[in-house]
Amino acid sequence: MSAAATTDSDLDEAPVTDSGDRGVARRFGVLALAAAVVVGLLLGYAGGLLTPTFTRPGESSAEAGFARDMTAHHAQAVAMGLLAFRQGQDPEVRQIGGDIATGQQGEIGTMQTWLRSWKLDPTGDEPPMAWMSDGPGLVKNGLMPGMATPEEMAKLRGATGREFDVLFLQMMIRHHVGGVHMIDGILDQGHDDDVLKVAQVMKNTQQNDLTNLSAALKRLGGTL
Amino acid sequence: MSISTPGGPERRPTVVSTGKKPAAGRPAAADKPSGGRTAAGKGASRPTGGKGRKPVTPVKVSQGRAWGPIALFVAVGVLAVAIIGVGAWAVYQGAQPWEKRADAINGIVDFRKKDKDLVKGGQHQPGPIKYDVLPPVGGPHNQAWQNCMGDVYDAPIANEHAVHSLEHGTVWITYRPDLPADQVAKLKAKVQGKEKLMLSPFEGLDKPISLQAWGFQLKVDNADDGRIDDFIKTLRVNASVEGPTALCDQGVTATGTTPRDNLGNNMPEQPTQ
Repeated sequence: MSAAATTDSDLDEAPVTDSGDRGVARRFGVLALAAAVVVGLLLGYAGGLLTPTFTRPGESSAEAGFARDMTAHHAQAVAMGLLAFRQGQDPEVRQIGGDIATGQQGEIGTMQTWLRSWKLDPTGDEPPMAWMSDGPGLVKNGLMPGMATPEEMAKLRGATGREFDVLFLQMMIRHHVGGVHMIDGILDQGHDDDVLKVAQVMKNTQQNDLTNLSAALKRLGGTL
Repeated sequence: MSISTPGGPERRPTVVSTGKKPAAGRPAAADKPSGGRTAAGKGASRPTGGKGRKPVTPVKVSQGRAWGPIALFVAVGVLAVAIIGVGAWAVYQGAQPWEKRADAINGIVDFRKKDKDLVKGGQHQPGPIKYDVLPPVGGPHNQAWQNCMGDVYDAPIANEHAVHSLEHGTVWITYRPDLPADQVAKLKAKVQGKEKLMLSPFEGLDKPISLQAWGFQLKVDNADDGRIDDFIKTLRVNASVEGPTALCDQGVTATGTTPRDNLGNNMPEQPTQ
């Protein structure tokens, strides 16, 4: 009995040693190959699954900081633009106000969609401009570059006629200059291709706006 | 089989006997009683074994060989599982929906679970409205919203406008009028200039500070309470019924608890949501 059993196992192991090394190699080779394939596939799957998590902009990335801060910055431009659209006296002021309000509101949607696709909250808890290398120094009274104070916004809301037009143009020029500076920040520090492309379009738009806002201010006899 | 190579060094004793088969195999096997026992069995039963030394080594070798790859693949397997596990956990954590994170804030009241009708949202209703939960966290509201561009109001505002701001994703911080000035200043610093936030005193609060988002409320005693920032971070914009592009400007900027539905020339036909 024991002999038979031994024989069986011996038959299995008979080819071992010398030429038998190949037998072991063959036996474990198949197992090892199968295991290696399975493990390799698992690792590959996990890698593919996780790579986007590790490569997409994170909570403290410049991209996330830009998207959040520029949303806030844009929101005030939208407020000013809508005021101009409704309260402006000069037709170009009304037109340009509507253009800026709708354009920047659209860009807010783009930036908020980025944040959602990066699985980040729409807003952060870092101070404004923390993402930009020279950012914190540019913040005045908690306001990002070019942004109007609550008092200035109240003054704009209360203004009428030419006074409103001039005030709006002055404030929007300042707002855009600050905005372009922030866009330069992300063009400098950003890595995400889509963010860089959209930021460049934002910059183009705001620079065009600046040309036209300045010309309108000059036409209306105002100064910065 | 390059994979088996790194496995070898881990088990040095075995490698010594197996790795150098021709030289070390025989003496190593002969030393061991177990080796001798099996070897004898083999030698006896093997019909075709050519050389006498063969039976000695094979068992030894195959036993040694068995552990190398097994250990290796167990190690690699454990590593793979660990990588997948850690990654999956990170993804799961990162992807925790804000609703879950909101519910995890200690002391928060989630009216979206408690009172679904209250937070269905939606309809505009002119004039004063009675709210059962105070400060209100949802329900019908005036067509005009309270301006919520990080506005700091130094007097109470109308619930009928404020609720509309909540619907647009605003976190509305209210405080009892007797809250010390330094505490109010801390709240103001959190709010001012940040869209989808507003601050106002509120008469008759049972706690010094109460935070509202659409369907959520948290009451705290102190402006230094860390849950205030958690509430803001988790619910600002996220709690919006109408998404991140709902407006906060173009709203009522005046204070006073009487709703101003007739906004006069300064606020002509607001687009209604």
